[in-house]
Amino acid sequence: MVLSKAKKHVTYTIQDIETSDEAMKDFLFSLGCHAGQTITIISNFGSNMVVNINDARYSIDLELAKAIIV
Amino acid sequence: MRIALAGNPNSGKTTLFNALTGSIEHVGNWPGVTVARKEGFVKKQLSIHQNIRIVDLPGTYSMSPFTNEERITKDYVQQEHPDVIINIIDASNLSRSLFFTTQLLSLGVPVVIALNKWDLIAKKAIDIDLAHLSKDLACPIVEVSALRQDGLKKLLATCVERKGSTQEPAFIGHADATLNKEAWLEEEKERSIYVANLVKHVEKRSIDSHKLNRHDAIDRIVAHPYLGIPIFVVILYGVFSISQATLGPFLADYLVSWIDLFYAFVANLMGNQVSPFLQALVLDGVIGGVGAIVGFLPLIMVLFFMLALLEDSGYMARVALIMDPYLKKVGLSGRSIIPMVISTGCAIPGIMSTRTIRDDRQRRTTAMLTSFMPCGAKLPVIALFAGVFFQDAAWVGTLMYFMGILIIFFGAIVIRKINGDTSKASYFIMELPEYRLPSLKRAFIAMISQGKQFVIKAVTIILLSNILVQIMQTFSWNLQLVEEGAEASSILASIATPLAFILVPLGFGLWQLAAAAITGFIAKENVVGTLAVVFGITNFIDVEALEVVSGTGEISSIMGITTVAALAYLVFNLFTPPCFAAIGAMNAELDSKKWLFGAIGFQLGMGYTLAYFIYQIGTLITTGQFGSGLVLGFLIVLVYIGSIVYLIKRNEQSQMTLQRG
Repeated sequence: MVLSKAKKHVTYTIQDIETSDEAMKDFLFSLGCHAGQTITIISNFGSNMVVNINDARYSIDLELAKAIIV
Repeated sequence: MRIALAGNPNSGKTTLFNALTGSIEHVGNWPGVTVARKEGFVKKQLSIHQNIRIVDLPGTYSMSPFTNEERITKDYVQQEHPDVIINIIDASNLSRSLFFTTQLLSLGVPVVIALNKWDLIAKKAIDIDLAHLSKDLACPIVEVSALRQDGLKKLLATCVERKGSTQEPAFIGHADATLNKEAWLEEEKERSIYVANLVKHVEKRSIDSHKLNRHDAIDRIVAHPYLGIPIFVVILYGVFSISQATLGPFLADYLVSWIDLFYAFVANLMGNQVSPFLQALVLDGVIGGVGAIVGFLPLIMVLFFMLALLEDSGYMARVALIMDPYLKKVGLSGRSIIPMVISTGCAIPGIMSTRTIRDDRQRRTTAMLTSFMPCGAKLPVIALFAGVFFQDAAWVGTLMYFMGILIIFFGAIVIRKINGDTSKASYFIMELPEYRLPSLKRAFIAMISQGKQFVIKAVTIILLSNILVQIMQTFSWNLQLVEEGAEASSILASIATPLAFILVPLGFGLWQLAAAAITGFIAKENVVGTLAVVFGITNFIDVEALEVVSGTGEISSIMGITTVAALAYLVFNLFTPPCFAAIGAMNAELDSKKWLFGAIGFQLGMGYTLAYFIYQIGTLITTGQFGSGLVLGFLIVLVYIGSIVYLIKRNEQSQMTLQRG
C-alpha cells in the first residue's frame, strides 16, 4: 500500500518508490529511503507528514507519501 | 598541504570549517551550481604545520553523479588531488552519514573521520564502538565538537600523519555509474546493506529512533497545519519588533549620533575655506552616505541574528512544513518561505538563500519574487509617506506587507502558467532536525557573515551612488552650483524630467519624484534622502537618520501631490525591481539572461500597474474624475498585461502539443 494510507507509529519495510523522477529516487536512496529499508510515520497532518527514515526525521508531502510503497 | 572537507548537510561542516580556518576566501562558484567555493588556511595556533589549506566541499548525502552538487566532490578529488579528506560525520546519525563515507573511502585519498557532536550522544544514550568502526573503515576517527572547538588539534595532527598513506576499507565500490548504471545501482544496494550491518554492530541505542520523543510532542502543535500558523505569526512579530522597533533602532540611534558628531566636526573643520563641491562631496556624499547605511545596518543585523537563532533552533524547518500546503497552491514549496522571511530584512541574503531549492523553476520563481517583500531599506520610505500623508497610521505599513504577500502569490501563479510543466510531479522533503537551544555564538557568526556580504555589496554601491547623486543634484550641466530654489536646473533634474512624463498617469509626474525613484534603484533608502534634497526640505527630513523631523503638513504641500498619488508613489517604489545589489544577487541565482530580463520586466510592470490603478481609481473615488494621463497609462498597462497573457497562452499551447505527442 502507499505510505499515505499507512498507520502511524508502525515500522514498515519499503517495497518500492514509484516515481518517474529519477533524481528524487536517487536522492531518497542516499538518505536510506529505498526498498528494503524501514520507515515509520511519526505524525500525519494530511497534506504533510513527519516520517522517521534511517534515524532521522523528515517532513514529506502527500505526493511523496503516495510514491512510497510499503 | 591540501585538505578537503566533506560531509552531509547539517553535519556541522560549516561550523568546523569556520573553526579550523582563519581568513576565508570565496573563490567564485563551483562549476554548474550556485554554491560558492570556500577555501581558507588553517589557523596558526591549531597545527605546527603551516600552510594547510582547507577546501569546503558542498554538503551532500551521496556521490552519485546525477546531480551537479554530487558530482563536485568526485570531480574535485580527481582533478585537484587533495592530500587528505576530512569526512565530518554527525555522531547521532551514523547510518545516514556512513553511506557517503564508504563512497569517499573508495576515492584513493586518505580519509580522516571527524566524529562531530560526540558530546551530544551521551545525552541521547547512544554508544559507539569506535575501535570496531575505525578498523572496518580502515581510517582514523577523531572525536570533535565543532561548536566547542574541541579535538581540532588532534584532527589536524591525524591528517598530517595520514598524508601519503593508503587505506583498505572492508567495502570498496568499483562500479562506475556512467558506464553501467545497472551494476552501479546493484552495488549501491549492497553498500546500503553493508552500512546497515556495520551500524548494527557498532552502535547501541537505548532509545529507538522511531519511537516518539519530546521533540515530536512539541511538533504536534508547532508543526500543525492550523495551530502552527498563529505561533509562526507571533514569533515573526517578536523578531520584527526586536529588530525594527526596539533593539535595532536603539543601536542605530547610538551609532548615528557618532556620525552626527563627526559630520559636525568635519563641517566645522572645512568652514568656508573648502570649495562647495568638496563640501557637498565629503559631507553629504561620503559622510551622509555612510550615515544612511549606519542608520539602518543595526536593524538588519539584529534581524539576521534573530533569524539565525530561529534557524539554529530547528524552527525554520517547521515553518517550511507548515507553509508547504499553501505554497503548493501557487506552484512553490514550503522551502520558498525561508527566503521570503529573510527578505524582510534584506533581499540580498534572501535571494541567495534560494540556493537550497532543488527545483529550477521554483528556485528562480522564488528568487525573482522574494524582493516584493518590503525589506529593511523600504521601511524609511514607508515611514516617510505614512507620516506625511497618512498621519503615521499603522495600517499603511501592514498594508504594504500584505500587498507584498499577495503579489508574490499572484506572481508565482503567473510564472507557473508561463513556465510550468504540468506533467512533472514535484515533491517536498525536508529534514526536521531536533529542536535545540540555539547557539548565540553560531547566530553571531551567521549575522556577521551575512552582514559582511550585505555591507560590502551595498556600501560600495550606496556610497558611490550617493556621491554621484549628490554631485548631480548640486550642479547644473555647466558645473555651476545650483541655488536653493532653482533645483530644476540641476543635472539630475534634466535626466529625470523625461522619465517623469511616463509617471504622469500614476499621479506623480514631477521630476523630483522621478529622480527619487531612480535613486531608489540604487538603494531604496535613497528615495527619502533624495526627496529631501530635491525638494529642498533637508530641514524637515534628517538626511542621515532618514526620518521626518517636523513639518509633515509643509512637506505634503511642498511635494504637491494628492494623498492618493502619495499612496501610488509608495506602492511604485516598493514593488518595482529591487536595488541594484539585489538585482545582482538575483542575476546570480537566475543564471539566465532570459529569466533576468523577464524578472525585471515583471517587476517594473507590476509597480507601474499597481500605482496606475491605485491613482486612477483612487482619484475617481475621491474626486469623481480620473486623474491625468489615463489613456497613456492604460496603454502601458495593457502592453504589460498583454505580454503576460501572451506568454501564458504560448505555454499552454506547447503543453498541449507535448501531451498530444
